[in-house]
Amino acid sequence: MMNPLRDAWQSIVRRDPLSTDKGKSELVFLNVWLHIHPAKVKKDNLKVKHTFYLGFITFFLFLILVTTGVALMFYYRPHPPQAYQDMKDLQFVVYLGSFLRNMHRWSAHGMVICVFLHMCRVFYTGSYKRPRQFNWVIGVVLFLLTLGLSFTGYLLPWDQLAYWAITVGTNIGSYAPLVGARVRELLLGGHTVGESALLRFYVLHVAVLPAVMTLLTMVHFWRVRKDGGLSRPVWKLKPEKAARLVTIGASDTIAPLTAVPASKDKTYGLMEVVTGKPIFETVSMEEEEDTVFSYPYAFFREGVALLATVATVMAVSMFWKAPLEELANPAKTPNPAKAPWYFLGLQELVSHSALLGGVVVPALAVLALILIPYVDLNPSRRPADRKWAIRAFTLFVVVNVVLIVVGTLFRGPGWAWVPPWVHITGAE
Amino acid sequence: MERRLPQFFFALSMIVLALMLGAIWQAGTPAWRSYQQEFHRLEAAGEPNAAAKSGVLGANLVIRQALLPGLQRVDRCTTCHLGVEDPTMKNARQPFTFHPNLAPHLPARFGCTVCHGGQGLATDNQNAHGKVPFWQEPLLPKEYIRASCGRCHKEGDVPGVPELTDGRRLFETQGCRGCHKLNGVGGTVGPDLTEEGAVHRAPAWLERHFLDPNAVSSNSPMPNFHFTKEQARALTFYMLSLTSEQMATYYSSVRLIPSAGYGRQLFVEKNCIACHNIGGVGAKSGPDLLGVTKHHSPGWLDEQLVNPELVYPGSIMPAYDLETNARKAIIAFMAAATAEDAQSILSRRPRPLTAQDAAIEAGKQSFARFGCVGCHGLQLQGGVPNPNSQGGEVPSLLHASDDYTKEEVIAIIRNGKVPPVDNSAKPAPPLYMPSWKGVLAEEDINRIADYLWSLQKKKESW
Repeated sequence: MMNPLRDAWQSIVRRDPLSTDKGKSELVFLNVWLHIHPAKVKKDNLKVKHTFYLGFITFFLFLILVTTGVALMFYYRPHPPQAYQDMKDLQFVVYLGSFLRNMHRWSAHGMVICVFLHMCRVFYTGSYKRPRQFNWVIGVVLFLLTLGLSFTGYLLPWDQLAYWAITVGTNIGSYAPLVGARVRELLLGGHTVGESALLRFYVLHVAVLPAVMTLLTMVHFWRVRKDGGLSRPVWKLKPEKAARLVTIGASDTIAPLTAVPASKDKTYGLMEVVTGKPIFETVSMEEEEDTVFSYPYAFFREGVALLATVATVMAVSMFWKAPLEELANPAKTPNPAKAPWYFLGLQELVSHSALLGGVVVPALAVLALILIPYVDLNPSRRPADRKWAIRAFTLFVVVNVVLIVVGTLFRGPGWAWVPPWVHITGAE
Repeated sequence: MERRLPQFFFALSMIVLALMLGAIWQAGTPAWRSYQQEFHRLEAAGEPNAAAKSGVLGANLVIRQALLPGLQRVDRCTTCHLGVEDPTMKNARQPFTFHPNLAPHLPARFGCTVCHGGQGLATDNQNAHGKVPFWQEPLLPKEYIRASCGRCHKEGDVPGVPELTDGRRLFETQGCRGCHKLNGVGGTVGPDLTEEGAVHRAPAWLERHFLDPNAVSSNSPMPNFHFTKEQARALTFYMLSLTSEQMATYYSSVRLIPSAGYGRQLFVEKNCIACHNIGGVGAKSGPDLLGVTKHHSPGWLDEQLVNPELVYPGSIMPAYDLETNARKAIIAFMAAATAEDAQSILSRRPRPLTAQDAAIEAGKQSFARFGCVGCHGLQLQGGVPNPNSQGGEVPSLLHASDDYTKEEVIAIIRNGKVPPVDNSAKPAPPLYMPSWKGVLAEEDINRIADYLWSLQKKKESW
């Protein structure tokens, strides 16, 4: 029987009904947006306590930022007095303008936090280990890009907060020997924050950095998939299952690529035929009882994470306004002038030593982060086997958080120690 | 969990939808809409027939704004203050009340905030009235609004605002520039006042400050000038009018009518006759001004009044800090000035002209303009308290010739001087003589010394 509607629908989805296993598989295989997923996922990977969905949440925040950011671009002129006036127009006359700006602002802060938490999760679960070393490096670069996007966006409202935060932030960068001052000049298009700095930050913020971010995010996801999906606590597997795991793609002398369960009726893909051996752990090798179809189990969960992220950002944006101070005034320096909060740990270090705190320590910290998977050669991911790695990283996190909290809450005029509960009279 | 997942998903979708509706509701009901509806009802009540009534009631609710590129402002005040130009709203309640005596300052050309203060871009009560953090021009209290006249009318008398004229005169005669910079001229002991009316806008604070600086700003080095209440009010008015806002010609040219009468007043005030003569009557150090407008273009004369050195290198004429229209007024006076004018100006001088008068007059101008009188006094009597200096106050200059030669005085002006300390255990005296080298030309310093020497009194012998 002819059913034009059903034919039309079929021409779009081109798959069997979702009630069948074939349909569930085809939903993933035949869809450009979903095929980054496997058709079937391990049950372990769906557990909230294994990943807290932090990677997803970070990505969803990025999507919110792109969406609200494009909407905001319709109302924004990257030129000094107009830029500030456009903020006022968003607040007072543009329909939902305040709400859009609030969402953009809070998502940006949220993304900096979530990307950091995601990094912590990956470290504590040892998920940067073979074969995922390079994906950790890409992750560190994505973290730096997130900071860069947040920092360039910070200047755009062109108020006192923006102006002086960027002045302080770029001053910290200029402490680098030989190149520091040159890089600052290149970034600002001058020696002080002015109209060319605003234009440069705008172009970086809306074009260059988001494009690089999108490309690297794709690589990041692709490698997660190629490295066997999300990592899971393999050390928690029951002994009888662990006994059935075999090590593939590795000689006895080097650390195993990954551990997969042995399977009697294994079928080999083209790539494995080409290379002569199975390279990556894939779902098809898993025991039937350990896996479920991505539809609906994974997709619904991701959907819930997306909705929860959006709902949280919206709720926060309804009740808390994005800050906007006076029009930027190069002649009037606030005391203290503070960088954006995520750089206040740096500013705190700089207050003790410009070269050491502003250049040496942060450069070493970034280098150390990048080198972690190449230095930590301990093959085990079991927390009990890597106590010192965990202690060292925890120290790094605690020091960072303490420095940021000190810089944000405990520093007053002249960068003097002023606890938040002490009110300074006469301070403007 | 697995079976409840779709329900969970659905519930969250509903929450997001609710939040969307909440945001739309929040954005969709701004207070100005209900103000406009109320105003339409007020208007409809005055309409005679039903058709007109429904026409008024059905009018669109829109944000109204005056775009004022010449003032670099956008004022949306009339979005709520709808009756500003409607005389029938004379007795309506705020925000609909009629604004009397608006002409010629019509909202379409001037907006509201340039006089009243507040945040023109805003469309809600709190923000529009500027009583929010980070807005530097909150609405001015009623009794201070007239101070805003001085933002455009920067010189001459503003009808109905004698405080401005008084404040300006006090500022220039009390030597405020000795410590405070205004438009690039003045000392650095106190804060720069160029933006005082644009940035701080705290009339009550300013007024208390003038009555007693220490009452509102502890340890202020500013001496108590013992101003009367009227003087404090006048100075507050003047402070509130100070701004370096760029205004288009339309606004800057309405400041003052450059009449010959005002020009004559300035001619007397600035003591031009001490150097110049008109038709041979007056001093001979400067050129005869009779018919000077026939020899030189207005542009040339204007430049001469702004910066004589640029027109005649080495000219002994001091640069006068005159506004555009004041210069126009002087030129207008010179165009018609005759020897009789010079005669009548001379006859009112307190003492006859001497040969030295030109240099002394130039010195006096510099002495006033650079604020020396702030510490040394109008009659050079000194007396401004300077705790912990020897004598406890700024010394009088009337007897300088007893202790110093003229050359020594010139050196002190050039290099500055830290006053001798009375008790080295106590904090150093707050006031000191700054170095004027680089600020004043050598000739100016010499002429100031000439001026001081012209007023020296012999020490009384005993």
